[in-house]
Amino acid sequence: MNTGQIISGAGHAGLIFWALFGGAFSDVPPPNEVTEVTAISADDYAALMAPEQSPEAVANVDTPEPPAAGEAPGMTSEADAVPETAQPEVTESSEPDAPPEVTEPDPPAQAEVSDEPPVMQPPQEDTAALVPERSPDTQPREAPRVAPEPVARPEPDVQIDDVDQQETAPDENAEPVEEDQEETAREEATTEIVTEADDPADAAPSRSLRPRTRPTRQAEAEPEPEAEPQPAAQEPQQTETAAPESPEVDENAVENALAEALGGSETQADSTPSGPPLTAGEKEGLRVAVQQCWNVGSLSSEALNTTVVVGVSMSEDGRPITASIEMLGSSGGSNSAAQQAFEAARRAIIRCGADGYKLPPEKYDQWRDIEMTFNPEKMRIK
Amino acid sequence: MRYMLSLLAALFMLAAPALAQDTSEDDGPLRIEITEGVIEPLPYAIPTFVADTAGASEWAEKITRVVASDLNGTGLFREIPAEAHIARISNFSSPVQFSDWKAINAQALITGSVRTEGSGRIVVSFRLYDVFAGQEMGQGLQLAGTEQGWRRIAHKVADQVYSRLTGEDPYFDSRVVFVSESGPKDAREKRLAIMDYDGTNVSYLTDSSSLVLAPRFSPQGDQVLYTSYESGFPRIYVLNVETVGQRVLESQDGTMSFAPRFAPDRQTVVYSLTRGGNTDLYSMQIGSGQSTRLTNAPSIETAPSFSPDGSQIVFESDRSGTPQLYIMPAGGGEAQRISFGQGRYGTPVWSPRGDLIAFTKQSKGRFHIGVMRTDGSEERLLTASFLDEGPTWAPNGRVIMFSRETQGAQGSTSLYSVDITGRNLKQVPTPSGASDPSWSPLQK
Repeated sequence: MNTGQIISGAGHAGLIFWALFGGAFSDVPPPNEVTEVTAISADDYAALMAPEQSPEAVANVDTPEPPAAGEAPGMTSEADAVPETAQPEVTESSEPDAPPEVTEPDPPAQAEVSDEPPVMQPPQEDTAALVPERSPDTQPREAPRVAPEPVARPEPDVQIDDVDQQETAPDENAEPVEEDQEETAREEATTEIVTEADDPADAAPSRSLRPRTRPTRQAEAEPEPEAEPQPAAQEPQQTETAAPESPEVDENAVENALAEALGGSETQADSTPSGPPLTAGEKEGLRVAVQQCWNVGSLSSEALNTTVVVGVSMSEDGRPITASIEMLGSSGGSNSAAQQAFEAARRAIIRCGADGYKLPPEKYDQWRDIEMTFNPEKMRIK
Repeated sequence: MRYMLSLLAALFMLAAPALAQDTSEDDGPLRIEITEGVIEPLPYAIPTFVADTAGASEWAEKITRVVASDLNGTGLFREIPAEAHIARISNFSSPVQFSDWKAINAQALITGSVRTEGSGRIVVSFRLYDVFAGQEMGQGLQLAGTEQGWRRIAHKVADQVYSRLTGEDPYFDSRVVFVSESGPKDAREKRLAIMDYDGTNVSYLTDSSSLVLAPRFSPQGDQVLYTSYESGFPRIYVLNVETVGQRVLESQDGTMSFAPRFAPDRQTVVYSLTRGGNTDLYSMQIGSGQSTRLTNAPSIETAPSFSPDGSQIVFESDRSGTPQLYIMPAGGGEAQRISFGQGRYGTPVWSPRGDLIAFTKQSKGRFHIGVMRTDGSEERLLTASFLDEGPTWAPNGRVIMFSRETQGAQGSTSLYSVDITGRNLKQVPTPSGASDPSWSPLQK
């Protein structure tokens, strides 16, 4: 054992020592690299460089000699008989072709659905407002399409549902519960409508935000409940936040949820879009998308000095509604120049929006109507 | 280093909210501003016009091609070849399936029909559509003319399309008078010739027995002023384009007159006259022959050109030591220098729009065609070559034609045109050498 270890230790020590210092005793110098250099005379150098001198411009690059001109055809130049630009004949003959355009695919279903929700109200089945959760639909009739989607989206509804569930326990107070049901039902309907246009699965987040738009619809629906004493009593609660009623904890929760949904309607009547505004990035994305198709190459120089403001309404799938595109204003040029600039802008909006602009569907209210200012200042002739 | 990182982080956190959310929470619709687009030829489709009568198919094909050639030649439009068309236009009056044209990205569609009538008349109808808007641009138009004038009919169709799409005034139905050249440089024969703006229908107005220079159209396009050495000295002549009749306009013993140009009123001609070694500008009433001296300086004043309203004249003078451009009232008076760049300026021509002046500039051994504002600002050089000179404006003030000469004893001259943007520089085909172009107004 010791012997083996000693031998091994000695061997390794020697190896390490050789590795560290073995090379130091070597006196063989590293080889030097040698590069051969050849001398060249001035004449040779000149001879070498001579061909590199810039070639003298060969003045006589044979240009084809112009063909001998033929005899002047008799000097007589009869001006072409002026074609009568028969202006009188200006044909309105061409009746504007009845645009055979296939009218845009009808998304009319939305209108129907939105109107019908009121039918939903009857469900006094005291049922829990929770209908959304389990219910394949509280309103199967109205929107069979809609129905399946809401079911698939548990999360957004969860908040409202939780509240409702608690209320269901006190079925005794059927009245307040009923009101809640009405509102929730409408919300679902709207969200579903949206999803129909797109992908049902993706619409989940949009539902939670959409309620804000509802207020306007509810405002319309309010007159009906007013006839009934109970709803009238609740409305004040909604308007002034749920705070006033402290007694029932559960009800407060429901009211809060309602207040959130209705909050927007109180302050703003109709036109002002609700919900979070588009981020700068989203607006930039839209701007870039439109400018890719804004071709000013064929515009007159006067049109290039004209800034036009174009209004366009968008459908929920992000496509511009062609018929809605209109010039809202112009500056810097004549009417005809503004018209040219507007037509170029319109082509840009339609062309690049043919497949729909990538805009967040949950913010549809923000970009439902867009005003685009086309300012060609940077595109002018420089 | 750590301090810098923390500072950057703090700045980012401050800026993040502003980046993430647009702070402008205005009421009303979403507003965006678009300031940068693209500049490219507008793609369009022009199916061969429909032949409404048996003998019209040939005319339909030829007229369609000329219309397309006119539009393509501007550099502003790009024709989508017929092979790419999905739809076929077999009936001029049938409705257009815009979806078929959208699919090939045709942004404009031109349809037309041609029919022949007795006594050699051709009738052409056409319509222009904005494909993506799904509507017709303007109303359909019908033009009629003789078979001999079929090109003019085609040019007029193209003019209408061009104007509706660009907003510019038309210019295809116009002509150019120029000096046709043949032979070597040291023995070159020159004569006046006239052609369509695109180089077709060339005919000659004079023979080559005497040297001719600088033809200039009258505002109506029916007369041409030019300088001829027929008498041994340069003299100004006026020539009727229709009859090819000509007469001397200015002839004073011991003088040389040249560089004439009509005033917009057509009643006055302004020109240079050299007497006793001094060259000044004069104007003359064509009717009475009475001339008026406009400048009186020991320097050389030449190449006058009226403003479109006839109130001012831009001309070339070397009174400052080198040829420069000046503007003065049409009746004479104090001149104001407008060119101040390095180099020598000459042959100024006022744009028909009145906003620009085209000129020839020699600088650093090269010649340029350029444009500047009438106050001399915003000078832009559009071309550069061994020798470019003699600009002339298209009737709409959007295109400039000029002559270019190549270097060397065998060098040749030819005509070129260029858009005032500096794009679309191209040669105008002529049967032989050509120089000194003058663009006519739009034909009536």
